Amino acid sequence: MANKINTTLFILFIVAMYIFYFLLPPQKISLEEKRKLAKYTPLSYKTYLNGLWAKGVDDYIDDHFPFRNNFIAMSEVFHASKGIQFKHQEKIFVGKRKKPVLENIEDTTHANINFKDDFDESYSGSLLILDGSVYPSGGGSPRMSKLFSAMLNEYAEKLKGKTRVLSAVAPLSSAFIPALKFRKYNTQNKETLLAIKNSLANGAIFCDVFNELDKHANEKMYFSTDHHWNAIGAYYAYVAFCRGAGFVPVDRNKMEKRIKYNFLGSLYQLTRDQSVKDNPDTLVYFVPNVTTTAVRYNPNNFNKPTKANVFSHNSTGGNTYLTFLGGDAPLIKITTSVKNGKKAVVIKNSMGNAFAVYLISHYEEVYVLDFRYSNHNLMDLIEKNGINDLIFSLGMYGAMSNGTINMMRRLATNNGVPKFEPSIVVDSNKVVTPLLDTLKTD
Amino acid sequence: MFSLAFYAWEEPMWIYLMIFTAFFDYFMAILIERWRGDKKAKIVMLVTILVNLSLLIFYKYGGFLYDNLSAIGKLPFDRPKNSLPVGISFYTFMVISYIVDVYRGQLKAQRNPLNFLMFISLFQHLVAGPIVRYSQIGNQVDSRTIDWSKFSTGVSRFCLGLFKKIVIANVAGALVTKYLDAGFNDLSSVEAWFGITMFSIQLYFDFSGYSDMAIGLAKMFGFDFDENFRHPYAAQSVGDFYRRWHISLGKFFRDYVYIPMGGNRKSQLRNILVVWLLTGIWHGASWNFALWGLYFGCFMILEKLLEKFLAKIPRFLRHTYTLILIVFSRAIFYFVDFAQLKAFVGTLFYSKKSIGVGFSSDVYEHLFWFVLVLLFCIPWDEIYTSDSRVNNKVSYYYLRFKPAINIAMLFLATMLLVNSTYNPFLYTRF
Repeated sequence: MANKINTTLFILFIVAMYIFYFLLPPQKISLEEKRKLAKYTPLSYKTYLNGLWAKGVDDYIDDHFPFRNNFIAMSEVFHASKGIQFKHQEKIFVGKRKKPVLENIEDTTHANINFKDDFDESYSGSLLILDGSVYPSGGGSPRMSKLFSAMLNEYAEKLKGKTRVLSAVAPLSSAFIPALKFRKYNTQNKETLLAIKNSLANGAIFCDVFNELDKHANEKMYFSTDHHWNAIGAYYAYVAFCRGAGFVPVDRNKMEKRIKYNFLGSLYQLTRDQSVKDNPDTLVYFVPNVTTTAVRYNPNNFNKPTKANVFSHNSTGGNTYLTFLGGDAPLIKITTSVKNGKKAVVIKNSMGNAFAVYLISHYEEVYVLDFRYSNHNLMDLIEKNGINDLIFSLGMYGAMSNGTINMMRRLATNNGVPKFEPSIVVDSNKVVTPLLDTLKTD
Repeated sequence: MFSLAFYAWEEPMWIYLMIFTAFFDYFMAILIERWRGDKKAKIVMLVTILVNLSLLIFYKYGGFLYDNLSAIGKLPFDRPKNSLPVGISFYTFMVISYIVDVYRGQLKAQRNPLNFLMFISLFQHLVAGPIVRYSQIGNQVDSRTIDWSKFSTGVSRFCLGLFKKIVIANVAGALVTKYLDAGFNDLSSVEAWFGITMFSIQLYFDFSGYSDMAIGLAKMFGFDFDENFRHPYAAQSVGDFYRRWHISLGKFFRDYVYIPMGGNRKSQLRNILVVWLLTGIWHGASWNFALWGLYFGCFMILEKLLEKFLAKIPRFLRHTYTLILIVFSRAIFYFVDFAQLKAFVGTLFYSKKSIGVGFSSDVYEHLFWFVLVLLFCIPWDEIYTSDSRVNNKVSYYYLRFKPAINIAMLFLATMLLVNSTYNPFLYTRF
C-alpha cells in the first residue's frame, strides 16, 4: 500500500505541475524582479542546432513555472531557517557572477578605444550587510579616476571659453558605514575621488562631493535597501556642486518636504535578507519652489517628445527612487521659471537623478542626459542650445570602468544611431536590454 | 527515443557522435563474437578500443594535449575548438567494458542495434553516470518488469537524490563560491578550511545525488543500476574511500586496467600509480587532476606499506586521518591553476589574515543545515528498510511516513530550483 501511495503522490505532483503550467495564464513581467519574463524562442533549424531554442525553452519554463512567485517567497523562509539569525550580525552577500568582469586596464593613450560598453544590469560583487543596511565593499580605485579625469579634460579642452565642465562624482555608501572597522572604505572612497581632482586639467572644475557628505556622515544619506543615495545625500552633493560652480545653494528647509515610507529597494531584492526586509527605507525629499515643465526625448533624436515630470510623487513601493525624474530616460529637458538665461547639461547615471532635481533652482534650462541610453550628439546639444555648464553627476561605480568612461567620451561623436544591437546576451543566453545600472567597483 | 530526445535537447550537435559510437561498437562486438578465439577478434577489439579512446581523447583532451605539445614546439595545426560532448566520458567507458567483456566471452553481443543504442543512450546515467556495464543490465535491455514496489523504490531514490543535489550540494556550492572564488588571498586559514570542507560536501552530495537520481529513474523504468557511492566519508583509510567513492569508475579501472596489468601479483605499486593517474585524468583535462590522482595513488601505496601499523591505530583516528586527507585533496581537485593551488595550500596552513566579516554569520545561519548534512550522511534507508528491522517500531513509522517524506523533499527541491531562477534587476525595466 505504501508503495502505491508513494508512487501515486509522486506522479500526481508531476502531473499537477504540468496541468497548472498549461492552465495558468502566462505572465509577461515580474514586478518583484523588475524585469520582463522570458519569451518563447521560435524553433528553427538554426536555433535548434546552436542550442538557443533549447535554452530559450528552458528559460521560458524557468520564468513561467506554476506558482513561481510563491515558491520564491517560500524559499526565503527556508533560507532564513537554515540556522540562527542575529539581528546585529555582520554578513557578506556575494552576488551571482553573470559574466566575466572586464579588467579595467590602465590605458593612458586613448588613441584607440575598443572597450566594450560595460555596465551590467545585475550586481555581481560582494555586499556587506550590517544591521539591516546593505553596503558595497570597496571604495573604487585611483587608477581608474585618472581615466575618468582624462575624459573630462578632453571635454574641457573642446569647450574652453564657452562651457564650464564640472565633476560631481558621488562616493559609494561604503564610505559612510557607521562602524570604525570599515573606516578603510571611507579612506578608499576619498582617495579615489581626490585622484579625480588631482588629474583634472583645462579648467575643469572639481566639486568635492565626498568632503561635503563626510561632514554629515552621522546623517542617513544613502538608502539601506537600495543602491542609491537618498535626497539628503544628493542635497549635500548639490551643496558641494554649488560651492564649485559659484552658486548659493537653496536651503532645503525652504523647499517643500515630502515623505514616502516602506521602500524596499534593489539591494533588498538582490540579497533578500530578512534583516534588510525588516529595515525598510523612508524617503524624505525636497521639492524646490520652482515651476517647471519637462519633456523626455527618445534615444536617437528630438522628434516627438513626451511629457515628463521632475518629481514623480506617485512612485512608491519598490519604485520609490523613480520619484526623481520618473526614473532613467535617454534625455530629459526641464524648463524652469528661473529666467536667468543659464543652461546646463547633466551627464548622469541613476545616482544623478536625485541630484539633478536641485539644479532647477539655478538654471533656466536643464538637460539631463543618461550616457547609457542616449545617442544624441552632446557637442551639438551644447552648441545649439548655448549650454553654460556641463556637469558630470554620477555614482562612483559609473566613473570607475573603462566601458562607462568610453560611453561618456563617445557622446561627443554620437550620430543618433543606436549603440546597442539591439540587446546584449548575458547569462544562459537570456536576452536582456542593457538598460540598467551597475554597482561594479574596481 | 526518449533518451535520444533527452540527449539532443542538451547536445544537438554531438548526438550524431553518440549514435556513431553505438552503431560502430554494435557491429564490432558482433565481429568479435564471430571471430572469438581467433587473432582477428583481438585485433578488432584493440582497434575498437583505440577508436573509442581516440574520440574521447580528441574531444576531451584535444585542447589539453595541444597546449602541452605546443609548449615543446610549434604545431602545424590550430588548437581544437570543439566543445566536450555531454556524457562522452561515461559512454566511452561503457562501450569499452562491453567490447572487452564480449571478447572475453563473458557476454553475448547484443543482436538488436536499437536495444544497444538504448543501452548507450539511457537518459538516466547519461549526464553524470554511473558507468553502467552491459553485464549488469543486458537482460533488462531486452526485457524488464516494472511493478509498484520497484517504481516506488525508484521514486524514493530519485527524491533523495534531487534533495541531496538541490538542498545540500547547491547550498554548499554557494558557500564554496563565496570562500574559494572571491580572492582567497584575503582568507584566513579557518575560512580556507571551511571553504574546502564545503567543497567536499558539495562534491559528494552533488555527485552522489546525481547517481541516486539515475538509480531511482532507472528503477522507475525497470533497470537496476549498481550503487555508485557507499558513504565514502565514513571511510577508515584512503583505500577504503576508493572502494566507496564513484564505485563504477573504480571497478572499471580495476577490471580493465589494474588486473590486466598484473593487479597485486606483479608490480602492484606501479599498477596502483597508473590506475590513479588515469583516474585523475578521467576527471578532467588538466594537470591538477593528474596530481589529484597521484596524490591518492601515493597514499594508497603508503597504506599498503604501513598496513600492519595502521591496523593498530584506533578507528576514530583512522577516520580523522582519512577525512583530513580527503578534504585536503579537494583543493587539488578545485584549483586548476597551479599558482592558485600553491597560494591556497599556503593559506590553508598559514595566513596573516584574521577571520573576516561575515564568517560567523555564515556559520550561525547554516547551523541547522549542517545538522541536516550530517543526517543525510546516515544511510537511513539501509537501516530502516532492511529485513532484519522489519518488526522494528521506528522502521514501521519510517516506512509509513516515507511517501510524505519523499513528497516533502520533492517539494523543497522544486521550491529551491524555482528560486534559483530568481534574477532581480536593480531598476525597473518593463
